Amino acid sequence: MRIGGATLTTLKNEYGARLSTPSGLVVAVHPIGRGMTVPVSVRYIERSRSCGANSIRRPFAPAGQNSTRRGGAVKPPRAQVRAGDRHVPTPHVAGVATLPNGEYDAPERDLALRVALDALEAADCPAGALDGIYMPKPRPWTAQGLFSTLLTNLLGARPRRTVEVYTGGTSGGTAFRTAVADLRAGRAERALVLAVERTSTVETADYFGYVLSLFDREFAAPAGPSIPAVYAASARRYCHDRDVDRSTLAEVVVKNRANGAANPRGLFEESVTVEGVLDARPIAEPLGLYECPAPCDGAAALVLAADGDPPDGAVSVVGVGGRHAASHLLGPRDGPLYALPAVEGAVDAALTDAGIDAAADLDLLEPYAPFPHVEAALTEAVGLFDRGAGAAACARGATATDGAHPVSPSGGCLGRGHPAMVTPLLNYAAAVRQLRGTAPAPLQVPGARTALTTTEHGHVDGATAAVFRRGSA
Amino acid sequence: MTAGRDWRADPEAGQYTDPFWDALEADRFLLHRCRDCEETFFPPAPVCPRCGRTDVAWVEADGRGRLVSFTRQHVAPPGFEAPLALGVVELVEGPRLLAGLPGDAAPSLDATVELTAVEYDADYDRRDRSGRPFFAARIVE
Ligand SMILES: [Zn+2]
Repeated sequence: MRIGGATLTTLKNEYGARLSTPSGLVVAVHPIGRGMTVPVSVRYIERSRSCGANSIRRPFAPAGQNSTRRGGAVKPPRAQVRAGDRHVPTPHVAGVATLPNGEYDAPERDLALRVALDALEAADCPAGALDGIYMPKPRPWTAQGLFSTLLTNLLGARPRRTVEVYTGGTSGGTAFRTAVADLRAGRAERALVLAVERTSTVETADYFGYVLSLFDREFAAPAGPSIPAVYAASARRYCHDRDVDRSTLAEVVVKNRANGAANPRGLFEESVTVEGVLDARPIAEPLGLYECPAPCDGAAALVLAADGDPPDGAVSVVGVGGRHAASHLLGPRDGPLYALPAVEGAVDAALTDAGIDAAADLDLLEPYAPFPHVEAALTEAVGLFDRGAGAAACARGATATDGAHPVSPSGGCLGRGHPAMVTPLLNYAAAVRQLRGTAPAPLQVPGARTALTTTEHGHVDGATAAVFRRGSA
Repeated sequence: MTAGRDWRADPEAGQYTDPFWDALEADRFLLHRCRDCEETFFPPAPVCPRCGRTDVAWVEADGRGRLVSFTRQHVAPPGFEAPLALGVVELVEGPRLLAGLPGDAAPSLDATVELTAVEYDADYDRRDRSGRPFFAARIVE
């Protein structure tokens, strides 16, 4: 997924990649060094749902749970504490904030504080009212450790729970699911989910050392693989077995780069052509530069609330799911290299949780698909298209913003840039903006009410899924 | 002999995978087989990934397999020379593994390959496997 600092530099050189902000200000990225700061005074506060202005937290009295202290004289009747009888609240998204993908000079702390404060402000939720803070553990090259504790102290929050989790690319999805589980269980009423990443600070050698450490260090890492290498292997096999041309797969890149170019929060201004994709510098054959996601810096935060009925028109989290296949970077034990059993399991669970019969009933998808064959195979795996027909469907416009099944209107990993720890939250934010009707104009899916998001890690070894819906559940 | 249970019973038994590297020194490639469900698997571990039982044993592989896919990396990790040819090999016994594809032979999908022990020359810290041979896949046809 990440191709290292050197490649990023080259990519920016070759592309003249630039950052644009919604204010219209465009800043060229310096090819070398870190001498550039995005004008972060441009902020992205999206106020929508209040989680209770000036509300005072009731200490340790989660909704629907008896607050009788253990060992107290009054024991609640058993029926009152059975989860099966308890009203399960539906969390809604009370606040969203994201920084545009790019390259930032500021430390991770500052990026995290910006999105956290913006999301809390949008939610009208003081940090002191948070019950939980959930985030991916920043990756090993991040200088600051014990990150959630630093943040909790700076925010003056006193949550019952902080979670810093690392499961590769699904980390943000795992943090999100944990927050949703706590909200549904009554363990929390207000949760801050956030993520921050700066890949601009890692040296190429350190990055590759990190990537090698993801592989089985005894039996696979000594061969010298990278993440694009294993995706290249599955792409080649997918094309062969499903009779798909690389040029058809390139249409997925073209679509996502066009979407990403229209997304002011994306990394790239330029779109690409099929020829440009096919002729790009090879990274891991058959994959070229534009078929690989571009690492970058980013940050995002969501405030989830489950403190009573969601306001009218709120975007709720109505389904979550996850699955890990018996696999570790070399495809599932019981299927071809390009099979996606983790995604199938996660999406199936999330749709069932949401009471939605089929992915085809959704208004849009914002999947975590870092390589074009993954997006094509994913649209097949969830049942939008026949096996092997995903790329052709994209080529004829079926997954375009105005197509029958819009996929990655934000640009996704390939079109938007890919700060891996943040990408899951960028997908959530993109879904929420779509359902609120506040997506960038050319990318808005008219009247969208339901959206599916996914995350994955490794070589799609593990996956999570979440379904969002506008209006009360 | 039940490899999994014997190893668990003896805290002085060393790393579970030691026999693999000892055999590779002698140009033999060892896999694992479950005596309950007959699943053959790799990497070796004291439990069957198919049925979960622990009656597992070392077995010698035929050494041949099929090239399920391959790539040439143009950006290689430090300590490795780019371009770097890598293959995903499915052994005739079933397990899938990653292996370098040394030599000039142009790979093709489903080509027959043979695993060979090779002297390890990349500058990658294999910790306590340092100095041991590694394995690579040679294209046979
Ligand atoms: Zn078994």
